Amino acid sequence: MNTPIDDNNHNLRYAEYVLGVLDADARAEVAHEMLASDEVATAVALWQSRLLPLTESIEDVAPAPYVWARIHDALKLDAPASTPARATPRPRLWDNLALWHWLGLGASAVAVALLLVVALPRHANVTAPSATSVAYMASTIKQDNGATGWTATMDLQHGRMIVVPAAPQALAQGKAPELWLIPAGQKPIAVGMISREQPTTLALAPALLKQLGATAALAVSVEPPGGSPTGQPTGPVIAKGAIGAAPDVQGNKVAMNGDGHVERTRA
Amino acid sequence: MTVTRTAEHQQLDRLLLQSGRSDQQAFAELYRRTSSKLMGVCLRMLRDRGAAEEVLQEIYITVWHRAASFDAAKASAMTWLTTMSRNKAIDRLRQHREELLDNPLTLDEMVDDQPSPGANAENSQEYRRLESCLDALEPRQRRSVREAFFSGATYNELAARCDVPLGTMKSWIRRSLMQLRTCLDS
Repeated sequence: MNTPIDDNNHNLRYAEYVLGVLDADARAEVAHEMLASDEVATAVALWQSRLLPLTESIEDVAPAPYVWARIHDALKLDAPASTPARATPRPRLWDNLALWHWLGLGASAVAVALLLVVALPRHANVTAPSATSVAYMASTIKQDNGATGWTATMDLQHGRMIVVPAAPQALAQGKAPELWLIPAGQKPIAVGMISREQPTTLALAPALLKQLGATAALAVSVEPPGGSPTGQPTGPVIAKGAIGAAPDVQGNKVAMNGDGHVERTRA
Repeated sequence: MTVTRTAEHQQLDRLLLQSGRSDQQAFAELYRRTSSKLMGVCLRMLRDRGAAEEVLQEIYITVWHRAASFDAAKASAMTWLTTMSRNKAIDRLRQHREELLDNPLTLDEMVDDQPSPGANAENSQEYRRLESCLDALEPRQRRSVREAFFSGATYNELAARCDVPLGTMKSWIRRSLMQLRTCLDS
C-alpha cells in the first residue's frame, strides 16, 4: 500500500482516485478526506478537470426508455413519464420487461414474441409502415432434456438482444450461465453472462452482429460468475438453439409477414 | 486551468441548478440531454447493458436528491454528472471484484488503445490537449492509463491483464500521471 510521504505522493493518490485504479478501501479513504478538507477536494477537482475530457471519446449510448420510467416512478415525479423520450419513440414493446418475462414462460415463446414484435408496430404506426425495416431474429435455446432454457430475441437495428429465462436448469453454487454465439464452423464468441431468474438485455457489438444469421447458433455454458476466464467455454454446454429468420434483403418482407416469420422460426 | 464553457454546457448548468430547486421539467430535460452520454460512460466500464442501466437509474435518483449541492462555480454540470457516474460505476465494479479476481481478463481482452480521433472540431480544446499529452507517453504506459481510465480496473487487475508485476504497473501509471500533469499544466 502506498503511504504518501510528501506533497507529490499525496497529489498522486488523488490522481489515482480520479483515474480509478484504487481499490475500494483506498477510494473510501480519499472520499473521506475530500469531505474533511477543502484542500483535498480542490486537488481532486483539479485532477478531474485534467482527466475527464477523455470521456469525450466515449460514444453515446441511448438507455432503454424503461430507465426513465423507473427513475420517474422511484422519485414519484408528477411530470409525464414520457417527457425525456422526445428524441426516441414512445416506450415500445421491446422495452417492456414484464412482457418478455411473461413470454419467456410460454412454450412457443419465440413464436408469440415475434408475432407481437413484428406485427404490432405496423398496426400502431400506420402512417409509416415500412420506413423502419424491422429486423429481428430469435432463438429458442433448448436444454438436453428438451425443455426450453431461454429464449433470445435479437434487435438488429439497435444492436441488442434480450434473453428471457423459461425453465433453465439449476446450476452448482458459484456457477453462472454464459451465452455464446457460434457461427457455422467457427469458434464460439462470448455474448455475455445471462440470468436464470430474469431477462437480460445484452448489447450486440457490430462484429457480433455481422456473425448473426440463419447458420449461426446460440449456446449456453456453465462458467464462473465473472465469465469464462479463457474467452472460450470452459464448462459444459447445457443448452443450444438455432437462430431463426435471417436479416437478408428479404428481411423487410419477412418481417411484414408475421405468419411466415413465425412459421420459419418453428421449423 | 481555464475551462471554456460552451452554450450547451451553460444550459446544462442551468438545468441542474433548476433540478436542485425541485423543477421536474428541468430534471426531465437534463435526463434527455445527458443520459446517453452517461450511459456510454457506464457501459464502457461495466460492459453489460443491464448493469449499466441499473447504475444509470441510481445516478439520476442521486442527481435529483443532490442537485441542490451543485455549485456551478466549482465545476460544470457535465463534469459533476460524469464524475458521479464514474464513481458509481467504479463502486459497482469493486462490489463484484471478488468474482472477477479469480478470472482476470487476459491481455487480448483489453480495450484497444484506440488512436485519438484526431483534431475533431467537436472535441473540446481540453480534450485535444489531453490527447496530445497522452501521445507523448511511452506506448505501453499510455495504453495502461487509457485502459485504467476507461475500464475502472484496479492496479492489481491492470497488472494481471498486462502480465507485469504490480510494482511495474504502479510505476508506469504514476510516472504517466506526473508526466501528464507537467504537460497539461505547462
